[in-house]
Amino acid sequence: MAGRVAIVGYAQSHHQHDIQMTREDMVFEVAKGALRNAGISREDVDTVITASTDFLDGRTISNLYTSMAVGAYLKDESKVEEDGAFAAYYALMRILSGVHDIALVEAHTQGSVVNPHLVSSYTLDPLFERQYGFLNDISAAALQARMYMNKYGVSEEQVAMVAVKNLMNAADNLNAHRKMPDVTVEEVLNSKLYYDPIRELTMSPVSDGACAIVLASEEKAKEITDIPVWIEGVGSCQDGYLRDRSLYKLDSLQKAAQDAYGMAGVSNPFAQIDVFEVSEKYAHEELMIYEALGLCREGKGKTLIEKGMTGKDGEIPVNPSGGALGADPICATGLIRVVEAAKQIRGEANGYQIPAYRALAHGQFGICAQKNVVFILGSE
Amino acid sequence: MRNVAIIGCGQTKHSARRRDVNLAEMVGDAVWNALEDAQVTPQEVDAFTVGNMQGFGGVAQPEQWLGDWIGAAGKPVLRVATGGSTGGCVAQAAFYAVASGLYDIAVATAWEKHSDSKEPGATTGLSHVALGNTINMINCGLSFKHLLSMTLVGAAAGVACYQAMYYMYRSGSRVEHLDMVAAKDRRNAAKNKYAHLQWPGCTPEDIAKTEWVAYPFRYGHICPASDGASAMVLACEDIARKRCKKPVWIKGLAAYSDEENQIMSEGAGGIGILDASQQIGATMSAIKAYRMAGIRDPQKEIDVAEIYQPFPNQELIFAERLGLFDEGTAWRALEKGETDINGRMPCDPSGGVNATNAIGSSALQRILECALQIMGKAEEHQVPKEVHNAVATGWGGATNYIAVTVLGDSPY
Amino acid sequence: MPYIKEERKETISVEGDWDIGGSTTWKDSTLLQGYAQGLKEKRIIGSLCPGCGKVIVPPRNICGRCHRKMDEKVVVSDIGTVTCFVISAPFAKGKMQVLGMDPVETGLVGEGERVISVYVKLDGADSNIDTELIGAKPEEVYVGMRVKAVWAKERQGKLSDLEAVEPLRD
Ligand SMILES: [Zn+2]
Repeated sequence: MAGRVAIVGYAQSHHQHDIQMTREDMVFEVAKGALRNAGISREDVDTVITASTDFLDGRTISNLYTSMAVGAYLKDESKVEEDGAFAAYYALMRILSGVHDIALVEAHTQGSVVNPHLVSSYTLDPLFERQYGFLNDISAAALQARMYMNKYGVSEEQVAMVAVKNLMNAADNLNAHRKMPDVTVEEVLNSKLYYDPIRELTMSPVSDGACAIVLASEEKAKEITDIPVWIEGVGSCQDGYLRDRSLYKLDSLQKAAQDAYGMAGVSNPFAQIDVFEVSEKYAHEELMIYEALGLCREGKGKTLIEKGMTGKDGEIPVNPSGGALGADPICATGLIRVVEAAKQIRGEANGYQIPAYRALAHGQFGICAQKNVVFILGSE
Repeated sequence: MRNVAIIGCGQTKHSARRRDVNLAEMVGDAVWNALEDAQVTPQEVDAFTVGNMQGFGGVAQPEQWLGDWIGAAGKPVLRVATGGSTGGCVAQAAFYAVASGLYDIAVATAWEKHSDSKEPGATTGLSHVALGNTINMINCGLSFKHLLSMTLVGAAAGVACYQAMYYMYRSGSRVEHLDMVAAKDRRNAAKNKYAHLQWPGCTPEDIAKTEWVAYPFRYGHICPASDGASAMVLACEDIARKRCKKPVWIKGLAAYSDEENQIMSEGAGGIGILDASQQIGATMSAIKAYRMAGIRDPQKEIDVAEIYQPFPNQELIFAERLGLFDEGTAWRALEKGETDINGRMPCDPSGGVNATNAIGSSALQRILECALQIMGKAEEHQVPKEVHNAVATGWGGATNYIAVTVLGDSPY
Repeated sequence: MPYIKEERKETISVEGDWDIGGSTTWKDSTLLQGYAQGLKEKRIIGSLCPGCGKVIVPPRNICGRCHRKMDEKVVVSDIGTVTCFVISAPFAKGKMQVLGMDPVETGLVGEGERVISVYVKLDGADSNIDTELIGAKPEEVYVGMRVKAVWAKERQGKLSDLEAVEPLRD
């Protein structure tokens, strides 16, 4: 990368199912919180990028009434209509261009406002899949899970182990929504079945929440903080449409990760990255993510989870915060992963701290993780 | 900062109902036209930025479905949407993608297909801007009469009605000037084969014969709801110089938001501390963009302006905010014909949004039309003078989002 | 500029009803309810920004300029100044529908009547309220006109308690 950009502040809400707060208040608190965390004021911010979508917010121009709350008044502002990790990616581009120095990034969704699974069916091809009406993100994920599990001989127990790991991890995370310290594989396998093999506990919960970060150019970051978290690499990619891609692997994530690794000079992610925060909207997706990120060979994700290597005290901890299974305020989820990764590097992950110098954060959007963005964060 | 240039432009024919194409094909047409114009293959494109107002066509995140039609599969795609200014913000995102050094060639595309909605898309979509607020107000006992008076200006032209009144009051202009702007735009559109409302030889008297929507707006003042898409190819300096005979450089840009003239807030409270015609966001965006572009005196240095004006008063307001005319004098310049296609400061030679409004695409089209003028490719609506610098605006939200882009024939 | 693709023939249009409507809920603040309650006692409530001192009516939650909450409430006058106005086209039977009703048929407005919508800056407030102006003809209204609130006879703590404004005559 031409210049260096660092995360210098962050904040997130206490994600929960039906938050008793207006969207405006929720956004205001995380924006204020991130600025306070960075130790700067609204006046220092050059540009503001938010993330929310019109369908999920149930409003046309979803950012319209939150601009003041986020602190964008008379600022160079834009809105990314997808996951907040893409907003961070856009803000990064804005700073790298040299036009802006400090960016505030905010993302939120109140999943309780509009049924997000209904919204997901609106993203389908209106001339074909939508006509049938049996596909949405859950049933598509079920197709994906079956394809993946059949191809590589992955059992439902192995998928359930991912849920157990993440839900137990979430119990240590104050901000997480679904905390289950004593959950067992049996409990996961006995939870409500939506579309076989997707069960209540192997899919992410519907959460309300918001998240914000402050990004700064190298010069400003050094002024603002003693513990900047540097963005060493970034990559993003979108897959073809549902019908036109191989569902049993995450090609676009693989490509995004390779771009990010290349930029950060990572050749062996297993050895060179200390902790991973990924957006697994479904438990089986986490196994696929292991493979796409190059942590194991294709189809071997099950081995990592079985051997406990991705557990909190394993060699490559994945989602010590509980991940998306722990809380999924849709547009904020990816940005929360960035925050959780940054927290690990700053040593501020109370209760689930992993000794980390370099971390990976992943955000996704779309049915079966069609779009992906990957950040490599480091302390040096 | 890396210099970034537009090296190819593409758009589709705009009309009320494009039933000959579906959404994906329509966007595909625009993107392929742009790639063809730039002589760039789809494989060479590094990144895409896309946008529309997704409530209007009824497809959520449409780029995920139509990505394959524009060659975006396996590429980074960033979706940006900010209301009416969407297109401008999409183009600016593509600029940042290249300027950041992460990508060398980026395609920006934006679209709208209103006719996919059962009711006119713009009406359904826009009512959802404040639907929550309206329901909140009804719950708090809003009278039916008050709702009627809100609907009557809201559905037709919303805050623009008040904006026009504010401007006319402050500047001393009259409804006749709105007629003149609308007539000029329809005449210009007749020269633009991609435009929607084409009316060769339209006169202000023709517009004045149309029925009132709500004073001060007549039906003749108001933009149509169009189907259409537009796209641009942006590239870094090396590639632009190699590939394109006359690259158009993006010299300055800004998109400030200004909520103090906003019509409402989340809880339905407070209408505008400032009046909606003040547009401080536009002034600040213009100042920043001109400073980046090294333009000191826009009245002398800008050769043509493409202003986002679904309502004619906005052409006058934004022309002043962009510093093209002194405060409160744009309507006098209009009277003298200075904003005509062959005038001193041509405004919207393409006919602008007043003649063609595929909402998501509209603000991108303004930048695209400026690029055509600089490249000398605007054909019939090419302004009859040399164009070195041009300025484009986008306008969205409830009067509070502005995107200003300054383009030029040299990067410095 | 390349070609416009015109060679396509009419394709099929697929009908479908994908209304997102009823499934949406909003979490809204109670500020507007408080405002409506105040109207019962003929009190028009605004919120005061502790940073810039601006008073917003009806109350708003956040001041964007200061990026602060506006928790303090103040009462503003029911007399104010017209800052802007818009006049409807003459109403006619069968011309428009609001909530599925014809406003002329229901007797809400007369045939040929023109409704005047105004923005009013009440004394003591920095923002405008939008309401209807009654007791004046369309040609009589002007920016700067002094107006006074018209209260409903029986007020119930609803927004409709503040019926309209009328010219202030002294
Ligand atoms: Zn204030």
